Amino acid sequence: MEMLLSTLISALLMGMLFALVALGLAIIFGVMNIVNFAHGEFLMVGMYTAFLTATILSIDPLLTLPVAAMVGFLLGIASYYMLVRYLLKGPMIAQLLGTFGLMIFLRYLAMCIFGPDYKTLEHGLLIGKSIMWGPVVLSYPRLGTAVLSMLAFGIIYWMMDYTRLGKALKATALDVEAASYMGIDTERMRGLAWGLGGATVGIAGALLINFYYVFPTIGILFCMIAFATVALGGFGSIKGAFIAGLIMGLIIDLGGTYIGPQYKFALIYLTFFLVVVIRPKGLFGW
Amino acid sequence: MALLKVTDLTKDFGGVAANSHISLEIEKGEIIGLIGPNGAGKTTLFNCIVGYHKPDQGIIRFKDKNITGFKPFQTNREGIGRTFQLMSISGDLTVLENVMIGSFCRTSDRRIAREDASEILNVVELEKDTEAYMTELPIATQKRVGLAMALATRPELLMLDEVASGLNPKETEEMVALLQRIHEAKGLTLFVIEHVMEVVMPISQRIIVLDGGQTIAEGKPKDIANDERVIKAYLGEKYAKGRKNRGSI
Amino acid sequence: MRTLKDALSFGDLPASERIGFILFIIFCLIFPWIIKGGFAQAVMIQFLIFCLYGLGWNLIGGYGGQVALGQAKNVGMSAYTVALLMVRWDIPFWVCTPLGVLVATVESFILGYFLFRLRGHYFAIATIAVSLVWQQLFINWNFIGGARGIELPLRETPNFIYMQFDSPIYYHYFAFVLVMIAILYMNWFRKSRLGYQLRAITANEDVAESLGINIHWVKVKTYCITGIFAGMGGAFYTVYYNYIDPFSVMHLELSIMIALMTMIGGAGSMWGPIIGAMILIPLDRYLGAWLGGRGIIGVDFMIYALMVMIISAYEPKGIWGIIEKARRKR
Repeated sequence: MEMLLSTLISALLMGMLFALVALGLAIIFGVMNIVNFAHGEFLMVGMYTAFLTATILSIDPLLTLPVAAMVGFLLGIASYYMLVRYLLKGPMIAQLLGTFGLMIFLRYLAMCIFGPDYKTLEHGLLIGKSIMWGPVVLSYPRLGTAVLSMLAFGIIYWMMDYTRLGKALKATALDVEAASYMGIDTERMRGLAWGLGGATVGIAGALLINFYYVFPTIGILFCMIAFATVALGGFGSIKGAFIAGLIMGLIIDLGGTYIGPQYKFALIYLTFFLVVVIRPKGLFGW
Repeated sequence: MALLKVTDLTKDFGGVAANSHISLEIEKGEIIGLIGPNGAGKTTLFNCIVGYHKPDQGIIRFKDKNITGFKPFQTNREGIGRTFQLMSISGDLTVLENVMIGSFCRTSDRRIAREDASEILNVVELEKDTEAYMTELPIATQKRVGLAMALATRPELLMLDEVASGLNPKETEEMVALLQRIHEAKGLTLFVIEHVMEVVMPISQRIIVLDGGQTIAEGKPKDIANDERVIKAYLGEKYAKGRKNRGSI
Repeated sequence: MRTLKDALSFGDLPASERIGFILFIIFCLIFPWIIKGGFAQAVMIQFLIFCLYGLGWNLIGGYGGQVALGQAKNVGMSAYTVALLMVRWDIPFWVCTPLGVLVATVESFILGYFLFRLRGHYFAIATIAVSLVWQQLFINWNFIGGARGIELPLRETPNFIYMQFDSPIYYHYFAFVLVMIAILYMNWFRKSRLGYQLRAITANEDVAESLGINIHWVKVKTYCITGIFAGMGGAFYTVYYNYIDPFSVMHLELSIMIALMTMIGGAGSMWGPIIGAMILIPLDRYLGAWLGGRGIIGVDFMIYALMVMIISAYEPKGIWGIIEKARRKR
């Protein structure tokens, strides 16, 4: 029984990370109707950034969060201004293959620079420890990740609803033309959306290195997870991304434990497929 | 037997009743106009008939066959054709090829499709534009190509969606004349949705008026123009008086 | 038969294209006699096979505008069917291959039936996912050798029953014949009803549907045909390399390569895939050999990715699109 509870909670905690990963994608899709195939690669970049910063500067991985966030932010903005901006003018196939090209580029860039090996972190505040909470075992990395993830979510949520910037973003998401008539610089908003998307997933990457391997091809795995999560939560919905992330955590972690780890991928895909066929709008989407 | 019979059609969009208990009948060979202020539900009704939307309630019968819920390609195969406001199929295909796509609905032979499309383009008087690309053509010509594309599918009922939008008065006149010629030559039944009175009034034998999702009036153009409810819906009192003075009815 | 006549007549193409095509044919025919190096010959055969893949993908991805990113599964499933039938039951190539292609096509049919309800990006992601899942399955499936793959027994060459030869010249002409058949098919396709309907759908689904086109069915049909091309390529792969495993016939990189190549060359045009293959395959092999020797990996894909990004941003119609634009200006 304790085992089940532990696994359950552990899965939920993981789910919060998935939610954070999905958040970036949800923001980008919400503000402009384009899907970022390179999202998983952004995560990978965040992970490598955090990893390198932690190992080179010999600091705790938690301290790399702001660095990863900044790099993610810049990566997102650069992607928008150098590529996506032009893709938006073209047909859908160009948009799809354009961000797909970005994904391939980043993936093999990492492969080229870092080689295909799997790396892990040895030292850190959170690594390898766990605490007992009543009958339940909580792994430190997951707990820390979940807390920070919730914090990040909270900040974004607050920003979207209570700041002028957030409202401008939402306005652009709802109706680009009207927003521009209101004096909102929609180009900047779109760039910002990409920047935010990159930043949130960069933070997720920095958190992830506390308990997961770092390798160049990790992108596609999390890309799938992010897509399935956003599909489940509903494209464009922040609240949806959070809840869907939790559900995904349960499905993947529990499924992995009880059915078999090699089926994790199939489970992700199955979820995605079911959502998209049964309820394409997801739980909260538009 | 009516060609098209719509009974008690209702369609909701997120709480707003776009169409509410609408019933109408169209006989073979008629030209029926559908008018109404913006947001009256004309487009929704149109889309329900062609199959783009599925009505929440009500039955649509075409040639006495229940076609409610049929998809657009199915209604087309039954014999309902339609035009779009923007009929641009592709900048890569010539006018002739665009119309051939319609012809391919009835044949799988390329040569037959090509001949058929040529013939239709003659009917709409575009013989000299067959090899042009859509993007090079003015709107009035594009509209004719759109008409040709729909005609190529050999419809028995042709539904025209704002066929005069974007046209200047002269072009509108020509379009109206063309539609009348086609109607006479092929005995085609026309269902015309329009904002532009210069199209709908002269050619319709009967006009249906929609407002707030319901039919508020039905009758001959002359009577409709004087109908109080219609005038109220449009706030076009001055317009109705103006029409009389110019004697176009 | 009229179909044959359609396939064989290139008369509606501009003279420059016809001349280019003839030059291409001549080049392929005399190639094995003028170039003797083993590596160059292998690259040429690779090029021909990728032409085959590309022409097939061009149907659904180019003319159809549906970015299907899982072609590798079609290649792999056919390759495995052929390999298994040959190894376990000594079935001749000419019987296994139709079966292999059939397997790939049936899978495409079933998959397409469900997946084409999805919107553009969902569809693309779903195809990647399916391909990855299949690959995982094949890796873990012991009956077909799992990760160890299948090795074909060596037979006395030249062997036309099992299509095993010691000299690449046979394979070269075999691949060339396949590509010619593919090109003739494309020539028929672009004038056929299916071709026009597909292009109509790509341009504007709503209008296409209003003209009586059953969109879902057309997409599924096209996807199956793409599967046939990929399946043929898979069958060829099996008898050419005499060894297959899930990492060499079902890998994501293959799907990516096919899509990128066609996109760069010009998706939706007849010669686009060939142009794309002409550029990318030699680039891939020679660059890969030069860099791999130095221990640098991944640069090749980085270059293709850059090319795709540039093409997507500036000229979605690819290199052929640029050629056509230049032509129209004159």
